[in-house]
Order: sequence, then structure tokens, then C-alpha cells
Amino acid sequence: MNIKEIKNELINERYFDIDHPSGLKILVMPKENYSSSYAIFATKYGSIDTMIQMKDGSFKEIPEGTAHFLEHKLFESEDLDAFERFAKTGASANAYTSFDRTGYLFSCSANFKKNLEILLDFVQNPYFTQATVEKEQGIIGQEIDMYKDAPDWEVMFNCLRTMYHNLPVRVDIAGTQESIAKISAETLYGCYDNFYNLHNMVLAVAGNVSVDEVIEAADKMLKPVDGKMAQRKVIEEPKEVIDSYVEEMLSVATPQFMFGFKESWDTPERTAKEEVTMEILLDMLSGPSSELYRRLFDEKLINNSFGFEYFTGFGYSCVLFAGESADPRRVADEIVEEIRSFRKNGFDAAAFERTKKKLYGRMIMGMNDVDGIANNMVVSYFAGEDIFTDFEIYKTVTLDDIAELFEKTLDERYSVLSVIKPN
Amino acid sequence: MTTQNIAEAVRFCSVKTDKFKTCRVNVSMAMPLDKAVSSRAILPFMFQRRCAKYPDFTSFSRVLDELYGASVSAGVLKRGEAQILSFGLTAIDDRFALDGDKVALECMELLLNMIFEPITDGESFPADIIEQEKRLLTEVIMNEQNDKRRYAMLKCEEAMFADEAYGINRFGTVEEVNALTPESVYAAWRDVLERSTVQITMVSSMSPEPVAQLIESKFSNIDRHPVEIETQFITGLPKPEYVTESMPLKQGKLVMGFRTGMRNEDDMMPAMRVAVDIFGGGTYSKLFSVVREKMSLCYYCSAGLFNSKGVVMVQSGIEDANEEKAKNEIVNQLSLTANGEFTDTDFASSIKSLTDTILSSSDTPEEICSWYASQILRDKMKSPEEFVDEIRKVDRDDVVRAAKTIMLDTVFMLKSNGEAEE
Repeated sequence: MNIKEIKNELINERYFDIDHPSGLKILVMPKENYSSSYAIFATKYGSIDTMIQMKDGSFKEIPEGTAHFLEHKLFESEDLDAFERFAKTGASANAYTSFDRTGYLFSCSANFKKNLEILLDFVQNPYFTQATVEKEQGIIGQEIDMYKDAPDWEVMFNCLRTMYHNLPVRVDIAGTQESIAKISAETLYGCYDNFYNLHNMVLAVAGNVSVDEVIEAADKMLKPVDGKMAQRKVIEEPKEVIDSYVEEMLSVATPQFMFGFKESWDTPERTAKEEVTMEILLDMLSGPSSELYRRLFDEKLINNSFGFEYFTGFGYSCVLFAGESADPRRVADEIVEEIRSFRKNGFDAAAFERTKKKLYGRMIMGMNDVDGIANNMVVSYFAGEDIFTDFEIYKTVTLDDIAELFEKTLDERYSVLSVIKPN
Repeated sequence: MTTQNIAEAVRFCSVKTDKFKTCRVNVSMAMPLDKAVSSRAILPFMFQRRCAKYPDFTSFSRVLDELYGASVSAGVLKRGEAQILSFGLTAIDDRFALDGDKVALECMELLLNMIFEPITDGESFPADIIEQEKRLLTEVIMNEQNDKRRYAMLKCEEAMFADEAYGINRFGTVEEVNALTPESVYAAWRDVLERSTVQITMVSSMSPEPVAQLIESKFSNIDRHPVEIETQFITGLPKPEYVTESMPLKQGKLVMGFRTGMRNEDDMMPAMRVAVDIFGGGTYSKLFSVVREKMSLCYYCSAGLFNSKGVVMVQSGIEDANEEKAKNEIVNQLSLTANGEFTDTDFASSIKSLTDTILSSSDTPEEICSWYASQILRDKMKSPEEFVDEIRKVDRDDVVRAAKTIMLDTVFMLKSNGEAEE
């Protein structure tokens, strides 16, 4: 078994990268003086995976929301379901589905090894029947409705649906009432076999644990499988957006908005350097210390909820500004105006150094909590990096990198303003 | 954990540890929930953005960037019948400063400056700042309705505690905010400095002494005469009340408020915690396993104990048509709990889950900080370990006894009347 120690001197941390004979990648960060531990068993399968590759290499469509549905159902088994098993140990168990992954997790301050065995066991043993699938349609149906009433959720998906013609990132993670009605036990087994292959998964553990006990549990619970990474289909997407504006009425007091800029790249995924560079760029442009932020505040156009995100994943990347405003159109115009002014005047060197210092501090702050660390290990692994990559990269970013990236992004011709208005 | 009294009703609580990469501080200031809540609620948000030394919001923010992205937060909480103004700070630990800076202490000083050295002429705050902060607080109050779950909860509390201080919104009302003036907010600030109960909680590798001195110097010229804060506990048989409201939504929100027999926040507390957990806490609870899993009525249905007021609130998101079904089943599951109809496994699961969660809280600075900060009004603070010991001593009879005192008081249903747009 290949065990590699990955260290970072600067923050005095290390973790272990293990290639388990079963084919599973295992990442462990022992934290000696912690009393709890957190483990997450994740697969590279999320809501954007709406196509499944067949043996002949062709792709077949699966109903929207299947990844999330499967996540709910995997907790069930023929006898004791996973929640009942964790109830006996006292662990807090949960799971989530995002655009590009599904994770099953627990945290506990006792019985770690037993809990890890339960986690590895239930995720590897699917049990779906038509009856249990139908029962879940009621619960997930309510979950979908709940999100339809949430303005922050709707403003984002309206934006993505108006930005993307074809990419499945435009689809709600839980699917729709109609799409989940098409899901059967057979659909779930099909997706399970394709995506829940140990070679397509990762186990990340952080906290009061030793590498040995993690490996012991893995040796006991994991059966070696033939290697197969699920392939993601590259979907064609035009450069243009569908429309530059979209709105919906909901019961809100102040209008909510999201102003997004679609990007087009030749490669499906953004590099760590591009992400870090963009983070600095956006903070300089519109963060709390920027002139723009101050102007919007003074003009009574935004409140504390204003923020930005560089939203990226397989095949998609866009810049999203969001907040609450009595006049979303004016906020959007001000943002566009500021981008133009930066294009003309360039970025300020002092602001650049200050922003880098802030980013460094924020990365340090992110290394406290076992759940944050373990999830970070999962994301980094799926992206082909380690969790210390950003600590090295941020130092290498220059103002020229910022200027170069700025050329490729924030083009107003490919922007969408999404607004939720009070009804 | 060590505590020391800095001034009358000013307590400094320090958890010294090098386990974390940060210095985390919370400053909590408690006042009674009364008609003046708005004039105080505006303070944390106003102070969060400036102080006399860095009067301009942008320069203030840039100072935080230079301090390695230190972040300050502001909030207003309700605990029992107290309004708590809350200030938070997260800074990197000095070990990670690149140039040997003493970041944490400097940040601590900045945090205290925000509260004690605001921009003022000695009689009032600048009118333009007050205007801006009034707009922001008004938006905070109005936007509380955006989260329907939270909104339904607030409406239920408003109805259930109409005749008690607990029914007062922690931010006050839009009208009350509109009526604020630079002078009235200034007076509220002086009032808070003189009369609030204060606790400063710090989780850091820093030694507490220099911080204690710093806090002491801030309080040294303040004439302290703290006000007594008491919460009314209402026991006895309530007369259930039903309140409803309609909005164009996809999903209705049900909130059921229950009174318990608790006569103060410690009365029957560990047993009540377990009883409410078996009724509607974890995945093994009755509400999760029956109302959600067996009946598929909802995505969430859970019960929470607010021991600072001795009440239990049940929340669920359901279709309007299932309202009666859900209410009846929730009441039914409560009476099963009160009749001791839960298995030994359920009971053991609850104890294990509660203790496991409490003990895990020692691994994040935020949770350690809020564990102690939430005890601001207690004379003697309890550690997580002490509370876990109390939970472990609870037996089945204690649970039944506690559950039997839980009585339905108010039902609030936010109906989705089906006019929402697609």
C-alpha cells in the first residue's frame, strides 16, 4: 500500500495520502489534540451528471435529480437503515449532493472505528425497491417545493437557466416534480453501478484518528474492484447567453438579484491558479474594501448581503454578483461601469498586496475545523490537487496574471441579470 | 477555561489553547427585551463598520485586510427575555503572521475600540451614519420574511407571547427604527455601557492578562449600575390558540408552540432536553421517523427546546392539505413520548447523540465561544463536560415526567394559497 505524507511547513500541518489496494483513495489528517473526528465518503457524481456512459461508449440520459435521489435512498437497507445504525453509536450522520459530487459523512466524539465501518458498509450496499422509491418521492417533492419558495435559491437557478443553453448546471440539484417521478429502482441501480465505483470515489478523514485505524477499517470493509473512472461527457455550449434579463415574483420585501458573467474556455476545468487569481481580482474590484462597494453602499443600492462568487465546475465557469437592492438594474450598471474603468486604469499595486494578505489569512482560518478540512480534501482530490496547493499558488500570483485573466472574463455581452421581485 | 470579573457584571472568560490557528472573541452585552430594543439593535451593525480611529468604512475595511483578513461580525440575539448585542472577531493566531506581528492583540483592541470609541461629538452620533444604518436595519427587519421558515417561527412567537416581553422582536419594528435619532441612539449606547450585563469570551493561544487589562481600561471610566434581567416562566394549562396567514407560496409552514412546566432555565433541564430530543430531535426521533419517514408528509419536522424561556417549538414544511394530518400526528407523538412509549434503544440513542454532539463542540473555536457566551446571564458557568454528566444521569422516568408537562399553546400556519407564479 502506498502511503504518502503531504506536509506544509508554513502552517505546520500534514496529512496522509493512501492508495488502498481496493482502489479507493484515502486521505487522513490526524489532529492529536482534537476530541472529535469527521469522515466523508464521496463520489464524483453530482447533479451535472445527467448522462451515463454505456459499455459501447455512448451516453444515455438519466432523469434530472437522480444523484440527489440516490443520496436519500442509499441510507436504506434491507434490515437496519444507516440512520438507525448511527443512532446506536451516537454519531451525527448526514449526506449532501452538489453540482459535481455526492458525499456521505458523519462526525463523532466516540466510537470512530465502528462509525467508519458503518459508513463504508452502507455506501457500498445499495438497497432500492419500487415501494421505497415511491415513498421518497413525497419527501423530495416537499424538499423541491421548499426551495421554490427560497428567493436566494431561485435567483441563482433563474440566472443559470438563462445563462446556459445546454449545460446541466442549469438544472436544479433535486430535479423537478416531473423528473423525479421518472426515477425507478432500476434507474438508481444503474447510476449506482456507474458512479459508485471505488476508483471514482474518495474517503477523507480528519480529527482524533490514526492512519492505522482508518486503514484497518478500510481493509475490513472494502472489496477490491476493477478500476473504472466514470467519464463525464463534454457538452457543447454556445458562448452566448439565452437572455440578458430574467425575473420572477416571490414573497420578498426587497428585490433580490444575481448578476452573472458567463465565461468561455477551451478546457472544461479551471486551474487552481486561475481560481486564486480570480478570487483576488474580484475582491479588488468589488470586495468590502473597494471603491465600488463603497459607492454602492453610499448610493443606498446594496446592504450587507452583497457579495461575489467565482462559480466553476466541470464545463462551466461564471462570475456571480448577488445581493438585495431596491434597484438591481442600477447595481448591474455600476458594476459594468467599474469593470470598464478598471480596463482603462488597471489594478492598484497596493490593493493587490493588501488583498493577498487577506486571502492568506482567510486560508489559515479555513484550517481549523475537521469538517472544513475533510471536505476540502475531497474537493482538492477531485480537482487533482492537495489541500495546501493554494498556499503555494497565492504567492506566485502577479499583477500581470490578474491583468491577463481580466482580459478573458467579465464581458458584459455575456451577462445575465436575474431579479426576484416582491409580489 | 478561566473567568475573571473585570467590573460589576462584566465577566471575561478565556479558553487558552494552541489547538486552533485563530483567535476568536465574542463580546455579548445583555439588556432586557423592552420597547427600546431598536435603539440598541442598531449599535452592533453601526459599530461593525467603523470607529473613531478609522471613521471611514472603506479605510476600516482595509485595516482589517492588513490584519490578515481579520473579520468582525455583529448580531442581535434573543435569550429568554434578554436582548443580546453580540460582536465577534476572528483573527489569525500570531504564530502564522508572516512578519512577526502581534495580530491578535491588535485585533482585540480594534474590536473594543469599535464598541467603546465610536465616532461621536459626546452627545450624538453623526446624522449621515445613523441615516444609513437605519436604512440597513429596516432592510434586515423587512427581509426576515424572505426565509419563510424563520418568518413562520417569528409569527408564532409574536402570537404566543403577545402579552410577554418574549414576544418582542429582537430588532424591534420598522416604525421604531424610523423614529430613531442620532441623540436617541447615542443615549442607548451610553445606557448599554452602564447598565448591560457583559461577557467577553476568548478562545486563543494568547494569555488572558493583557486582554483583561485592555478590557479593564475600557470600563474604568464607566459608571456601572447593571439592570436586573429576568425572564417570566409561565406554567399551567394553556388555552390553545390558532393563528393563520396566507402567502403565495409552494409550501406551507407549520409552527406549533408548546409550554413546558419549567419554572426557570435549569428546572428539569437535562431531562427536558432528552424528552424533546426523543420527540423531535435526531433521525431516531418520533417526528423524523414517523411524520417524515413513515408518512412522507414533509422534508423536515423537528422540535426545539428554548430552555431560556421554557418553551418547545415544532416546525414543519407541509402541503396545506396535510395540515390536520400533520398537527394530529405531532400531538399524538408527543403524548406517546409523555406516556413513556419509546424504546430503550430510542432512549439510549438520544443520550448518546446529545452527549456526542456536545463533546464535539470543543473542536471549533466558534462553538466553544458560543457555548460560554450563551451563559452570559448565569452566575456559574457550566462546561460541556459538566452538562454531559447531567445528561447521562437522566433516566426514563425523568424523561416521562418532563414530557408530561409539555402542553400545546399556539399553532401558526403559513398557508400557501396557490397563487405563486411558476
